[in-house]
Amino acid sequence: MATTVTEPGLERVGRLERIWSEPRGALGWLITTDHKRIGLLYFFTTLAFFGAGGIEALLMRTQLAQPNEKLLSPETYDQLMTMHGVTMIFLFVIPMTTGAFGNYLLPLMIGARDMAFPRLNALSYWLFLASGLFMYASVFMHTAPNAGWFDYVPLALKQYDPGRNIDYYALGLIFNGVASTAAALNFIVTIFKLRAPGMSLNRMPLFCFAMLAVSLSLIFALPSLTIDLVYLELQRNVGFHFFDVAHGGSPFLWQHLFWLFGHPEVYIIILPAFGIATSIIPTFSRRHMIAFPLVALAELLVAFIGFGVWAHHMFATGLPTITLVFFAAASMMVVIPSTIQVFAWTVTVALGRPEFRAPLLFIGGFIVFFVLGGLSGIMFAAIPFDQATTDTYFVVAHFHFIIFGAAVFPILGGMYYWFPKVTGRLYHEGLAKLSFWLAFVGTALTFFPMHILGLLGMTRRVYTYPASLGWGSYNLSETIGAFILTAGLLLIFANLLYSRFRGPASGPDPFFGGTLEWATSSPPPPYNFPVIPTVRSAYPNWDRDERRRDAERLARGELVLDEGHETPATTVRDAFPDEILEMPGESFWPPVLALMTAMLFVMLLAHHYAVAGIFAALALATLGAWHAQEPQAE
Amino acid sequence: MSALPRSARTSAAARLPRAGQPRAALPNGWWGTAVFIATEATLFGTLIGTYYFLRFNSLHWPPPGISAPKPTLPLVLTGLLVATSAPVQFAVSAAGRGRLSAARVSLLVALVVQAGYLAMQLHLFSHDAHEFPPSGSSYASIYFTLLGAHHLHVLIGLLLSGWVLLRTATGLTPYRMTGLRVTAFYWHFINVLALVVVGTQLSASV
Repeated sequence: MATTVTEPGLERVGRLERIWSEPRGALGWLITTDHKRIGLLYFFTTLAFFGAGGIEALLMRTQLAQPNEKLLSPETYDQLMTMHGVTMIFLFVIPMTTGAFGNYLLPLMIGARDMAFPRLNALSYWLFLASGLFMYASVFMHTAPNAGWFDYVPLALKQYDPGRNIDYYALGLIFNGVASTAAALNFIVTIFKLRAPGMSLNRMPLFCFAMLAVSLSLIFALPSLTIDLVYLELQRNVGFHFFDVAHGGSPFLWQHLFWLFGHPEVYIIILPAFGIATSIIPTFSRRHMIAFPLVALAELLVAFIGFGVWAHHMFATGLPTITLVFFAAASMMVVIPSTIQVFAWTVTVALGRPEFRAPLLFIGGFIVFFVLGGLSGIMFAAIPFDQATTDTYFVVAHFHFIIFGAAVFPILGGMYYWFPKVTGRLYHEGLAKLSFWLAFVGTALTFFPMHILGLLGMTRRVYTYPASLGWGSYNLSETIGAFILTAGLLLIFANLLYSRFRGPASGPDPFFGGTLEWATSSPPPPYNFPVIPTVRSAYPNWDRDERRRDAERLARGELVLDEGHETPATTVRDAFPDEILEMPGESFWPPVLALMTAMLFVMLLAHHYAVAGIFAALALATLGAWHAQEPQAE
Repeated sequence: MSALPRSARTSAAARLPRAGQPRAALPNGWWGTAVFIATEATLFGTLIGTYYFLRFNSLHWPPPGISAPKPTLPLVLTGLLVATSAPVQFAVSAAGRGRLSAARVSLLVALVVQAGYLAMQLHLFSHDAHEFPPSGSSYASIYFTLLGAHHLHVLIGLLLSGWVLLRTATGLTPYRMTGLRVTAFYWHFINVLALVVVGTQLSASV
């Protein structure tokens, strides 16, 4: 970035390096508060969970490849099926998009030097890691959750599921929810308060609007899941009555509260994909997104409408017709903001000069699967059709097109797109295109035949089926598709791993991206920008004169903030410069607090409530020590 | 900054005010607390929603054998708790004007009343749990869950106040001032919740 490097400019950069450097080695990663390092920690952790969830899926697909297969017992199949769902949703997609992509990119995109609460950011990572390990401990104890990812009562009650399986699920997801809430809160405050001077809300990148929508959804959706899980634990282990009719409870309570969270959750999964799409499309189409404000509003509107449609997951449960009709109508409404976005993406590509490199190909795949999955989604809003196909593979086909095809393809494309930013090297384009086609064909072959199987009557969650039903060939092709898809995914990671060490240098901005992350060097320095950028449009990196002025400011020392560990805060709507914040640096307390919290949950699981109380007190003491370090103390 | 014309503000950005000087927007700590309170409010909304969901699923509420809650004592206690919003808010404004000891005394007075409230409530809680244990019915389950959740929040508020008192013993910094402000914010939230929770519970007597 520093095109005119002068003596005083170099001196200032040197000072920034000293102020923002963190300890080297494992210790540095343990106590880091750098959002980029935390983003990378999230990335590799979620990738490991993605691998676990993928192996679970392959095992299930192998079991289902032929009728009467004996690879897995029904008990194991139930556990794999539940863990696959829980892993992919709570331990892969959400932490990958918010934790890894959001953490790494959002401060860069808004021109900040870190998140609003750097230590809280570290804490949410360590809590997430601990919650994931907590849930996966159950796999090694052979008592993994086994009642499906939405864990319906009465099956999940103690009478029918007496082991610890469901307790791992309930406590693990409460724990995971704490981490997600902390992350969402951090994103909201960062978005509202730390945007670079001049980045008024209407100039904020669409990726950040998507992250804002996701964070707001998490803040308002997670409590109902948490409360539902608390009820479940109270009923299972303390003898309360929420879900059993004999004592005045209702199994509907579980379903309502679960889906009151669960449907917003679907949009929490898909919205970051929209955000990534709106980053990649303008770059490779060489033009602004069309209908920028409409797309921003549509992202927020999807999140909002998501709170009013939950009962469409319950059309077959015997709710009153008037309720069904209301929720069917509300579900239809989701079409409007979704369609606005689909048209905006495709028309932007059509009106630009598109260059179909691998990231844009993945976005193309995303749009195809999103439209296909969306169309089968509209079909479910027709109540009689839903009642006929509920609990069949038609549903499985629909939601995998959405949450694999539509939600994960942009993640994969985003990995290629931002790889040069994170590593400073270019990936191999030819292999990247090959990996796209493998993943695309694999996804279509895995999930499309499920529509047919669903219409033929194959129900979800069955561990095997008799040969006489004639489902074998469809299932076999799905299994073949799953292995093709796996090959595509492995090729992506092989490509990235190889390019990490052998790829050609990329320079700061290989794709001429429009947002601010491309305005700094690759990989970005710990302080992100030598000069805090000032912004006057939604694509500030395309305002070349403005970026040149940034470079000139370095020599004069304007907006360099090289006197301390500082970042500017701006006003909420218009991003007028407001104050300079002294940011906290690396700290031991987040991992310690996460450890105490993890022990608290382990003790709750083991029914050692007194010991759990001790760990709660220790966690509070840790919080005290944490806040005794005052970042603004001079 | 606000005296500058709009167009000059970004170009004059180099002259940002330093930390601790008066700012136009509320501090990050306040925003973080606001979001936290939003998620907590949703949590209580879910609990109260459950209360009415179970109630409208039942023929008798409370079920036979359990007497409806008596309104007088809970209302008096809640009134007492809500009244502590005044000294808590006074503590913020006094500290803002530099009168730290007045602020601390005021916060301490509130703390004593709040702690008394919690002690009395816990006594009633265990008394009620003897009368109609939560394992007896869905009414008792949600009654104790809702009440227990609120008591837990009062406890968190007490810990926050105690922490602020402890930290301000050695003077006031911008960080601690924000701490005091958000603690007050949190107490106002707990007090509004107390009204909503007691209203929900007493609705069984109406």
